[in-house]
Amino acid sequence: MSNDQPTPDRFNLASQNHVGQSVPRREDDQLLRGQGRYLDDVPIPPQTAHMALVLSPHAHARITSIDVSEALALEGVLEVFTGEDLAGMVKPITAQIELPDYSSNSRDVVAVDEVRFVGEAVAVVVAESQYLAEDGAELVDVDYEVLAAVISLDDATDVDAPQVNPTVPGNVYYDGRFATDAVAEAFAAAAHIVSEEFRSNRVTAVPIEPRGCLAVPEHGDTLVFHSSTQIHHVLRTALAEFLDVAESNLRVVVPDVGGGFGIKAALYPEEFVCAALALRLRRPVKWVQDRYEALLTDVHARDNLYRVEAAVDDDGIVLALRAEIRTNGGAYAALPFGCTLETTGGARMIVGPYRISQYEYTATAVATHTTPTCAYRGVAQPVCFMAIEGIMDRIARRLDLDPADVRLRNMVPTAELPWTNVVGVRYDTGSFVESLEQAMEMADYREFRAEQAKGRLVDGKYRGIGICSFTEVSGTGAPGWRARGLTRLPGFDSGLVKVEPTGKVTAFVSHAHSGQGHFTTFAQVVADELGAPLEDVTIVEGDTGSGPYGTNTFASRSAVTGGGALIRASAKAREKLARIAAAMLEANVEDIEVENGRLHVAGVPSRSLSFADVAETAYAMNTTDLPEGETFGIEATDFYDPPLVTMANATHIAQVAVDAGDGRVEIEGYTVVHDCGRVINPMIVDGQVMGGVAQGIGEALMEELVYDDDGQLKTSTLADYLLPASVDLPNFNIAHIESPSIDTVGGFKGVGEGGVIGAVPAVVNAIGDALADLGVNVNTKPLRPALLSGLIREAGG
Amino acid sequence: MTEMHDIEVTVNGRRRQGRVESRRLLIDFLRHDLGLTGAHIGCEQGVCGACTVLLDGRTARSCLHFAVAVDGAEIRTVEDLATPDQLHPIQEMFHQKHALQCGFCTPGFLLTTVEFLEREPDPDEEDIREALMNNVCRCTGYANIVEAVAASAVELRRRGEA
Repeated sequence: MSNDQPTPDRFNLASQNHVGQSVPRREDDQLLRGQGRYLDDVPIPPQTAHMALVLSPHAHARITSIDVSEALALEGVLEVFTGEDLAGMVKPITAQIELPDYSSNSRDVVAVDEVRFVGEAVAVVVAESQYLAEDGAELVDVDYEVLAAVISLDDATDVDAPQVNPTVPGNVYYDGRFATDAVAEAFAAAAHIVSEEFRSNRVTAVPIEPRGCLAVPEHGDTLVFHSSTQIHHVLRTALAEFLDVAESNLRVVVPDVGGGFGIKAALYPEEFVCAALALRLRRPVKWVQDRYEALLTDVHARDNLYRVEAAVDDDGIVLALRAEIRTNGGAYAALPFGCTLETTGGARMIVGPYRISQYEYTATAVATHTTPTCAYRGVAQPVCFMAIEGIMDRIARRLDLDPADVRLRNMVPTAELPWTNVVGVRYDTGSFVESLEQAMEMADYREFRAEQAKGRLVDGKYRGIGICSFTEVSGTGAPGWRARGLTRLPGFDSGLVKVEPTGKVTAFVSHAHSGQGHFTTFAQVVADELGAPLEDVTIVEGDTGSGPYGTNTFASRSAVTGGGALIRASAKAREKLARIAAAMLEANVEDIEVENGRLHVAGVPSRSLSFADVAETAYAMNTTDLPEGETFGIEATDFYDPPLVTMANATHIAQVAVDAGDGRVEIEGYTVVHDCGRVINPMIVDGQVMGGVAQGIGEALMEELVYDDDGQLKTSTLADYLLPASVDLPNFNIAHIESPSIDTVGGFKGVGEGGVIGAVPAVVNAIGDALADLGVNVNTKPLRPALLSGLIREAGG
Repeated sequence: MTEMHDIEVTVNGRRRQGRVESRRLLIDFLRHDLGLTGAHIGCEQGVCGACTVLLDGRTARSCLHFAVAVDGAEIRTVEDLATPDQLHPIQEMFHQKHALQCGFCTPGFLLTTVEFLEREPDPDEEDIREALMNNVCRCTGYANIVEAVAASAVELRRRGEA
């Protein structure tokens, strides 16, 4: 931390009234009335044109000709643009990654000459209505010369594999390596070597609101750009760079967002195209994708292969770990995180809560003719913990130990925190052992094992229990992004706190919500730090036209970075209130106490002023002069860049029943003990956990994007890409341990991703446990009924 | 030029007229022609349920109906549930139980619940989960929605008895 950073003790939160309370959400009233304003609800100005994209039906092909004449002839079609047309308006978009052994690539926002995945845009039709734009797109006649494609992770680096991108030799985007000094010796000396290959199939986030944007030219050179995005400042800078327009002439506004989950933290070609065409046509342009486009073009994730081996002693202690990680990056490096987020993430996070001191990895990102992959809730962690937690279970089975005991023996105990792991990541506080022990108690783990010992098959169902104990990366600062090559991603966020002339408080924060309840939780933080009544605090976010720059909302950042920035800004505003109040009350500033919207002299509650009294002086709205040296108004801006990462932790325990006949899985119990440091709003934290678990259960049991060998996506509707429904999910048994961070302002840790990170491994391990007596090896996902019933039959069950 | 049709429907108790192409979807008619943006488009494939409205008292996927085909029908959308001063009891329970996050799917769940509790005023958890199974929520994991529906049933029964 830099020297000018106040230590957490300086902050007021210790006397918190609102932080820690399940304050009801302010967001709800409007949303429940059907008055949420999502992108497609934003009123469109007259003259708005609508755009539709012509998508490549081939995974890899050369574009030999594009005939737009029929489309142009359709009444209502305004213009049709090809890749070459757009290339004159938008530079090829490039994710900036600075890693050794990384091959950069760029993407034309609309394909020029060659297409590299099914769904890549080859032309854009602009028309008077969305219906007409789509009609026009149907009429664009594109001829292709179909080329050989490489689709699967396994084939990408074959010697005869077609080259996906000219600047990515051998289809290897990135090949990272790391080893401590004595891995080979540890393996040579180990009593046991436990190894497994884990395969994770491809999924995507599927927020129920599709992506979209609306670009509105205003006042000559300014463009107001509405987008269903999580990263408005990052988007604005990228629009400025790749469209070559002044950033000061761009304003990005985020409406209500109907779920993001990371996929809306990518920057997409359609956003650049929409903005460019609005500037070109001098009229508003709107685009909203349909679900087919969403499944084809939203970034995908989790197409990973992990080969892991552990050197283990007779007590089940892991002496050394080797991981060989391959991730499918797809056809292009998506912006802004590139195609290495899963690769570097898995490699750096797999050691989790365990005391693994000897570690070696190779981590490779490959290119294929498939949709680009990037961030989806949990990034890498659901898979790397499926691997390491799967290894823990295999160690237990090999040595005839209980899987919980193997974990407990390997965990870093709380007494040894702060602790720096083998790749240099600091765990400041946490509760690895305690969360596992408490979860075991809540899930009646020992009782379950005792019952299970009598036989796993009861009433035609195999019953199993699965554990995932994990660390959860959150609140990453600039050093953390740099360590992963993301040198253009800042890390900090900002807060601007204004006490208005009437004493009410407006706080701006550089985040954008997509369901997290920021208007409520950030108000709790500001109210406590400033000493204002909660109802007097209003939060404004999601608009580059108000409030300073930030890194925005993804990777479980908002509580840590937004909360931290708002605390710092609130503290500054409170100090100014106190200085002015001290002058008005003829007291020493050190003696001024702030509470519930009033400032009073310590020990003399009768000598007090309201925020409004002080604000009147600050804004020269009374006859009292400002104290010497003070500026007008009460506005304070501050920034907060957290440390490398902020590490939360949790344990999940899933209990399952696998039908011996049809292989269907029922989740019979689900327990979570979560530790995200100081909790701002327990109700909202529980909501984040439950929603994440639901996505994780979906990923473990049913969700899968399936390509055929030619690169056609066979799961391009929600009838094919299965999402968990109410009948597929259990109730959740959730408890919290609070180990406030000692490295972050406020003590908060992130919570957005833990649910999915824990659920995938816990469910996969529970099914593996249920079928363990049959000798069935469960090392993949999703675990659909057809797969499981086949495995059970083969095993003679 | 595409053939246009004059239609007249009752929406939230008001007679509304429109002139639509044969292919205009009911959801687009409601959202873009009448300005009732509470029903949302999630998939246009009839799977997600975000576009759910009540069509002659029964839940319907407004993305799967043509506007022209509902000429003469009575339609109820989420905008009809609350008064300016007060949420509907089901909306109030969704708020109290934190049964929404991003809120995009919520109107569909609310109208599904309205119809369900009219049909089944005293449901158990299994009934509720079955009634909700055709609406997708990606944020909440459903547990709080199930609780909200159960609490709504209690509240509506209480009011009915009062």
